[in-house]
Amino acid sequence: MNKEYMNIRGEKAEEQACRHLRKLGYKIVARNWHSFFGEIDIIARDDDTLVFIEVKSRHSLSYGSPEESLTPEKQKRIIATACIYLNQIEDQVPVRFDFVSIHKGNVTLYQNAFQID
Amino acid sequence: MFAQLFSAVILGIEAQLVEVQCDIANGLPSFQIVGLPEKEISESRERIRSAIKNSGYTFPSKRITANLAPADLRKEGVGFDLPIALGILMASGQLSHVSNRYLITGELSLDSKIRPVHGVLPMVLAARQAGVNGAILPQPNAVEAALVEGIPIYPVRILSEAAALLTGEKEPVPYVINRSALMTRHPQSSAAALNAIKGQEQAKRALEIAAAGEHNLLMIGPPGAGKSLLAHALLDILPPLSFDEALEVTQIYSIAHRLDRHTPLITQRPFRSPHHTISYAGMVGGGHGLPAPGEITLSHHGVLFLDELPEFDRRVLETLRQPLEDRSILLSRAGASILYPCDFSLVAAMNPCPCGHLGDRLKPCTCTLYDLRRYRRRISGPFLDRIDLFVEVPRLTPEELLNRPEGEDVATVRDRVLQARERQRERMKKEVKSSSNAQLDAKKIGEYCVLVDDAKEFLRMAIERFAMSARAYTRVLKVAKTVADLESQSVIRAEHLAEALQYRSIGKTEL
Repeated sequence: MNKEYMNIRGEKAEEQACRHLRKLGYKIVARNWHSFFGEIDIIARDDDTLVFIEVKSRHSLSYGSPEESLTPEKQKRIIATACIYLNQIEDQVPVRFDFVSIHKGNVTLYQNAFQID
Repeated sequence: MFAQLFSAVILGIEAQLVEVQCDIANGLPSFQIVGLPEKEISESRERIRSAIKNSGYTFPSKRITANLAPADLRKEGVGFDLPIALGILMASGQLSHVSNRYLITGELSLDSKIRPVHGVLPMVLAARQAGVNGAILPQPNAVEAALVEGIPIYPVRILSEAAALLTGEKEPVPYVINRSALMTRHPQSSAAALNAIKGQEQAKRALEIAAAGEHNLLMIGPPGAGKSLLAHALLDILPPLSFDEALEVTQIYSIAHRLDRHTPLITQRPFRSPHHTISYAGMVGGGHGLPAPGEITLSHHGVLFLDELPEFDRRVLETLRQPLEDRSILLSRAGASILYPCDFSLVAAMNPCPCGHLGDRLKPCTCTLYDLRRYRRRISGPFLDRIDLFVEVPRLTPEELLNRPEGEDVATVRDRVLQARERQRERMKKEVKSSSNAQLDAKKIGEYCVLVDDAKEFLRMAIERFAMSARAYTRVLKVAKTVADLESQSVIRAEHLAEALQYRSIGKTEL
């Protein structure tokens, strides 16, 4: 299982997540947005709210569920990247962090998955 | 959007109003509480989040800031849960803004039920002072809060009820209680009535004088003679608490987390009997963060009984000296400095010697002179100087033990004490610092303690005979004045002095 194969699998999962979100009325703004701190898989708009979405897929639960992979460290990286996005692109909008978990093709959306404390 | 509500924080036995400001802005979703909150307030974020969600509202996923003003005052307590939650609901537009100013306090549980908090009484007093329109607080605290006159109390059970009340959706019905009924509900207990104690007539009389003039008392006697029983009996002959005094005591117990739900108003004088291993912080107050009240404050308007006086840590006894004079204690710590009242009657008891039988008719004392000196040295002279009455509590004779106790009716003694107190209060109306004979200072003694001529001559002889110091002289005069008061006499006669001299020291076991 090489790195390229993993990337393809990741991309497929993100594609599936995007389809799911569009169906729910989200408008995709950007994908794989990079910063020094890390990457945000999907940036979308849900009504007025700007939503930063992390997608995680797992085919087996041997290494824990996709939900468990959203560690506090991971959250911090996403928040830092979101800050940079807000600074560079647009500010003064309601913001939310969502999480999409994909397990064996089942898509689960967690709205407002985490916040800043 | 912005919303502002009022809550309160406890400082000593008083409370200060705190503005709870909530702002909701766009930006990264976060929830912060600023304004020097202690840990329990920072933790309230999780309770508030769940309580809002579980009462059918939505927790806004925006940038939420709650500020507790004044920002430089350290905040403790869980009572901020409810005002912050309501502030968030108002700032997010889920509740309409209100014009009425309410004091709001209450702890939230995750299912949005409102739990009781401590220190409600001082909070409501502070709110009345500040002129707010009412107080919204937990149902279990309602009776305690309703003790305060002149401010409507609105008890609530769950978050949505508080919200409805705040916006006027629910008709506010103030909670009222019958204050005078609370005062009469608990008569003074008579666990150890004075006339149920066998013998010890002199000690009983000393207790009466102590009660009448607020004098401090030291009882010396062998084990089992009835010292503890006598100390408890003092409660019985002290005049009953006035409503204001009861309120003051209740306030102390409210902030000390010692008020129990079923007795919202403490109507009996407290009796505190700390064990001799007590630390000085336990005695005078202290602890981390805001200093908590100690035993001397918990016995405010009551009796502090120190059994086995020489066994107490010397440092603890020495810390009592200043509060005994000032009737208040200023605790200065890094966090805050707080003034607690501590107007208590000190009753102490000790054995005459380490083995306990010095001067006993039957058992010989086995202590050496060295033992005796060391035992007595544990109590310092300056501490003993603050005790006006010394009384011996000897072993009972077989006749006293076998016969039924007899003596004056407790009510008679109590009446006499009450009248003596009244005389003193009337006489010292214009004094700021003192309201009883024990509180007279050297300067005022000349003014208030007037002797008849033969009493002067008697005192002159006594001074020479007993080689009395200036301090001993003032003590004898103060006690003699109380004895005169008990007999409704306005001047001190020789017989009053003669009785007072008996309590100056203890004959053969001189201290």
